[in-house]
Amino acid sequence: MPLTRSKSPTRSPLQERRESGRGVAELIAQLQSDDAMQRRRAARDLGGCVDALPALEHALARETVTATRQTMLTALMSMDDERVATMLLPMLRSDDVALRNDVIEVLQSLPGLVAPHMSSLLEDEDSDVRIFAVNILESLRHPDVPRWLQAVIEHDEHVNVCAAAVDVLTDVGDVSALPALDRLPQRFPDHPFIHFAANMAAEGIRRGDDA
Amino acid sequence: MATMPDRIDEQQPKVDGRLSDADFRTFREFYYRKTGNWFDDNKRYFVDKRLLERIRESGAESFRAYFTSLRFEASGRELQMLTNLMTVNETYFYREDYQLRCLVADILPQVLRHRSRTGPIRIWSLPCSTGEEPYSLAIYLLEHWPDIEHVDVEIVGSDIDTVALEKARAGRYGRRSLNGLPDAVRERYFEPDGPQHHRLVDWLRDAITFTRVNIADVRDTRAYRDFDVIFCRNLLIYFDEASRRKAAEQLFDALRPGGFICLGHSEFMSRISPLFTPRRFTDAIVYQRPENTR
Repeated sequence: MPLTRSKSPTRSPLQERRESGRGVAELIAQLQSDDAMQRRRAARDLGGCVDALPALEHALARETVTATRQTMLTALMSMDDERVATMLLPMLRSDDVALRNDVIEVLQSLPGLVAPHMSSLLEDEDSDVRIFAVNILESLRHPDVPRWLQAVIEHDEHVNVCAAAVDVLTDVGDVSALPALDRLPQRFPDHPFIHFAANMAAEGIRRGDDA
Repeated sequence: MATMPDRIDEQQPKVDGRLSDADFRTFREFYYRKTGNWFDDNKRYFVDKRLLERIRESGAESFRAYFTSLRFEASGRELQMLTNLMTVNETYFYREDYQLRCLVADILPQVLRHRSRTGPIRIWSLPCSTGEEPYSLAIYLLEHWPDIEHVDVEIVGSDIDTVALEKARAGRYGRRSLNGLPDAVRERYFEPDGPQHHRLVDWLRDAITFTRVNIADVRDTRAYRDFDVIFCRNLLIYFDEASRRKAAEQLFDALRPGGFICLGHSEFMSRISPLFTPRRFTDAIVYQRPENTR
């Protein structure tokens, strides 16, 4: 018969059996392995273990294999510890675009940890970092998101940062954002695209409010 | 990461009424942590209805009493019953059949070409609900894949819902489930069972293994390894970002290097996790664990 029923559908590969039962110290040591998949399995098993946070930070900074890096970030996501945000936020300045995007995605899922840092991020000297902060707001489950975005379009002096905020407000803004959106074109009279974007966002919000 | 509220609303109504907002939030956080499923506010009616039903049937006097027993019950039986109620189980035979065509035309030939080990090709259907998907896979292979004459295939169906799994093992289906099957196929693999139902022939039911698995729990999935193909359709859309990432990690571990995963038509793995490589075939886009990730 070509369809075979397994008596035992589960299996445990030899390598994983050998690795099972490792303590935190062994897992941390395995983060240094030359084998990327071993590093990945160590990171996976360290998920939620706050004692491993410094070791994961160190390993993440050096990791170049995408799958392994992803697992390290997923492990960090499961730690409800304010050090996770403190550790990830400087990576927004990385030249590695993939790492930066990964970090933004992780930070989006940590509203409680990110919120205390959001105001200072949005006031960072580097306009790129401010844009990345707005990117985080795009899917951050936090009640202050509309307020943070409105503050950006009221006060930020860089047109691209404001444009990023308008883009997000188009999806998440409510009528409270309308005055700031209406004033925004006056702040950048030489940038017609921001007039267009602000008008589009405001119209969308008004339509939604009428519905 | 979401945290448990440290207190339950003392002013909540009795179980005949609606849950208080605080109780809903408390339950939502707890259920999310246990299963990875997040209920948005627009699911409030759905959740209230099922949760209140369980509270009444358990004999608890209030949400608070019920929730305390739910949290601390060692066997996890009540959580399992509640999970069974909260799970959506609507499916049918040959659903999204373009992926079945893709399986036969592209995926399995690649699996055969690149596999270095002996033993059967292993396919995992997760969540399998009441069994339509794993049985569809079996029937489709028997009907459309000539290689099955000389290649062994092992199909495992898993779900978190134990009631659905019992139905899957029974293999008895109504007209709605069978609508997508050609008459000739239905006649070959099913026997009438009462005026409105059909039952799968015994040898086909016996060929599929069904197991209970919670994909959000690494202890559950740790032993599921070495699959060549995983069908995981319309599950990840119910998860939030963090749970999707964790689930993607479990699926990655369950696949052998070079193995494939098929998602539902509205799900895109590249938005869930860059662990996988998208592969565009004639009938479908599927995702592959890279060969070099041994």
